[in-house]
Amino acid sequence: MAGELASPTASPRITRGSSRRVAAFRLLRRRLIQAVPLMLGVVVINFVLIQLAPGSFLELMTAENQVSDPATIALLRKTYGLDDPVWLQLLKYIWALMRFDFGFSYRQNIPVIDAISVHLPATLLLMISSITLALAVGIAAGVVASMKVRTFWDTLVSVVAMFFFAAPGFWLGIMLIVLFSVKLGWLPVGGMATIGGASSGFTAVLDILHHLLLPTLALGLFYAAIYTRVMRSSMLEVAQLDFVRTARAKGLSRNRVTISHVLRNALLPVVTILGVQMGTVLAGSVVIESVFSWPGVGSLLFDSVSSRNYPVVLGIMVLGSLVVIAANIAVDLVYMWLDPRIEIR
Amino acid sequence: MHRLEFIGRFARNRGALIGAVLILVVALMALLAPLFFPVDPLRIVGQPELWPGEDPDFPLGTDSLGRDMLSMIVHGARATLLIGLFASAVATLIGVGVGATAGYFGGWIDEIAMRAAELFQTIPNLIFVLTIVVILGSTLTNIVIAIGIVSWTPIARMTRAEFLSLRDREFVQACRAMGMGDLKIIVAEILPNALPPVIVLSSLVVAGAILFESAVSFLGLGDPNVASWGRLVGDGRLLIRSSWYICAIPGVAIMITVLCLNLIGDGLNDALNPKLRDR
Repeated sequence: MAGELASPTASPRITRGSSRRVAAFRLLRRRLIQAVPLMLGVVVINFVLIQLAPGSFLELMTAENQVSDPATIALLRKTYGLDDPVWLQLLKYIWALMRFDFGFSYRQNIPVIDAISVHLPATLLLMISSITLALAVGIAAGVVASMKVRTFWDTLVSVVAMFFFAAPGFWLGIMLIVLFSVKLGWLPVGGMATIGGASSGFTAVLDILHHLLLPTLALGLFYAAIYTRVMRSSMLEVAQLDFVRTARAKGLSRNRVTISHVLRNALLPVVTILGVQMGTVLAGSVVIESVFSWPGVGSLLFDSVSSRNYPVVLGIMVLGSLVVIAANIAVDLVYMWLDPRIEIR
Repeated sequence: MHRLEFIGRFARNRGALIGAVLILVVALMALLAPLFFPVDPLRIVGQPELWPGEDPDFPLGTDSLGRDMLSMIVHGARATLLIGLFASAVATLIGVGVGATAGYFGGWIDEIAMRAAELFQTIPNLIFVLTIVVILGSTLTNIVIAIGIVSWTPIARMTRAEFLSLRDREFVQACRAMGMGDLKIIVAEILPNALPPVIVLSSLVVAGAILFESAVSFLGLGDPNVASWGRLVGDGRLLIRSSWYICAIPGVAIMITVLCLNLIGDGLNDALNPKLRDR
C-alpha cells in the first residue's frame, strides 16, 4: 500500500519488498560508517574545550569537588594522563570514550556514564512526546491552511504559527504553569510523578502523562509552528505537480487527491527538517526540563554546569551527539520508506 | 535588481513593514535608553512587586526588589539587540568564509567543509553553548562567540550553494582569463552577487541568537553585568505565584522582537524571490 502511492513504479510487488530491505540495510551500513568521523569530530571538539579551559582542568575539577587527597589527585593525573604529550592525551581520551569510560562524577559518586543513563529515559520521553505533538499539530494545521489557502483560516494558522515560532520555550513554559497550574490548578507545576503516588501500573502511567503535558507543549509548540509553515508551502507546491493533475483528471475527488497523493509527497521536507533539528530538540529540552524540574539529562546538565562538574557536561555533549546521530539514521530510514525513489547518499 | 523595485516589493508586504517599524522602535529604545532612563536600571526606586498600572510612576510595575520594570526592559533592549547582532555577525563571518571556500574550490575542501558543518549540526546547539560558556567563563564575548559557533552552518550552506551556481558563470571565467587571483575573484566578484540571500538568512540568525542568549541568561549563565531580557525572566521565575507579570513582560519583549525579525526576514525573502511569494 505504502509504495504505490508515492510513485508509479513498474517493478512487481514481490521483489520490491526484498530489494527495499536490502537498500535499507545498505543505507544503514553507510550511515554507520559516516557516523565514525562525526563522532571523532565531537570528541576532538570536546578535547579542545578541555585544553582551552583556563587553569588546569584537574585543579578546577578537584577544587570544585573538594578532592584534596594527594593519592586521588595522583590517580587522576594518571587517569587523565596530564603528564603526557597532547596527542597522546587525545588518543587516550578517544580510547577511554570508546569503552564508554566518561570519567567519574565526584558529586554523585558514580561513573559519569551511569549518572547520564539514569536521566536519559526521561529526556527521550519528553523529546518523543514533543516531536509527536509537533508533527501531529504541524501537519494538520499545514494541511488545513493549504486547503483553505488565502482564507481566514489560512491567515489564522499563519499568525498563530508566527507567534509560537517567536516565543522562547522557557517563557512559554512559565506562562503555561501560571495559567494551568497556578490559576486553574489543573496540572502539576513540575516534576515527573506525584510524590508518594503509585509507583507502577496504570495510575503511575497516567500520573506521568499528567506531568508530561505542559513540558511537551512548551517544547513542542515551537516545532509545531515550523512544521506548519513547511507543510503548508510544501502542500501548495506538490499540489501544482503534474501527477496531481492526472489524479484529478482520472476523476478522483479533491479531498481524496489531497490526502492520498499530495500529503504523502508533501511530508518529505518535514521529515528532512525533523532530521536536521534533532539536535536542537534535545538542546531545547535542557531549558524546558529546568523550568519543569523534569528529571532528565537537561536537569543533570544544569546541575553539572552550576557545580562545574566538567566530566558530566562533556559526557552529555558526547552522548547527546550520539543520540542525534542515531535519530538521524532513523529519520533517513523513514524518508526512504516515504519515497523509495530517493537514494540517500 | 533595481533597488527601488526591491524596496517597493518589501514595503507592499504588510507583515514585513510592521516588523521593520517595530524593530526600529526597539532599536531607538535601545539607543536612547540612557536619555529616557538616566538612572541605573538596576537601582531600587520604589516599592517591590507593584503591579503594572498600580503606580503611574512605574507603568510596567516594579520587580521583587522594587526596580522599575520599564527602565529594565528599555535598557535590556540594548543588551539583547547587541548580543543578537554581534553573534549573528560572528556566525555570518564563519559561515561566509567556510561556505565561499567550499563552494569556490570544491573537491576535498568542499567535502571537509561540509563534514564540519554536519558535525556542528550534530552537537546539540544549546548544550554546546552552555559547555563553552561554563568552561571558558560567562563573559559577554564568550557568549557571543559561542552562539556564533553554533549558528554558522545554515549560512555556510547557503553561501556554498550560491558560489556553486556562480563560480562557472561567464563573468567569473572572464576574470580568470584575465589572470585574477582566486581570493580577489571570491571577494570582489562572486561574493557581492552571492550576498543578498545570505544577508536575509543572517537577519533570521539574529532572531535565533536572541533566543539563544535569552535561554543562556534565563538559566543564570549569562554575563552577570548584563541585564538582558532573558535574565529578567529568570529573575522573576520564583515569584510566579504572586507576581507573574515580572516574568511575562520581558518574555513578551523577546517574543515581539524575534517575531519582527522573522517578519523582516520573510519580507526580504519574498522581495528577493517574487516568484515564491504565493507559496
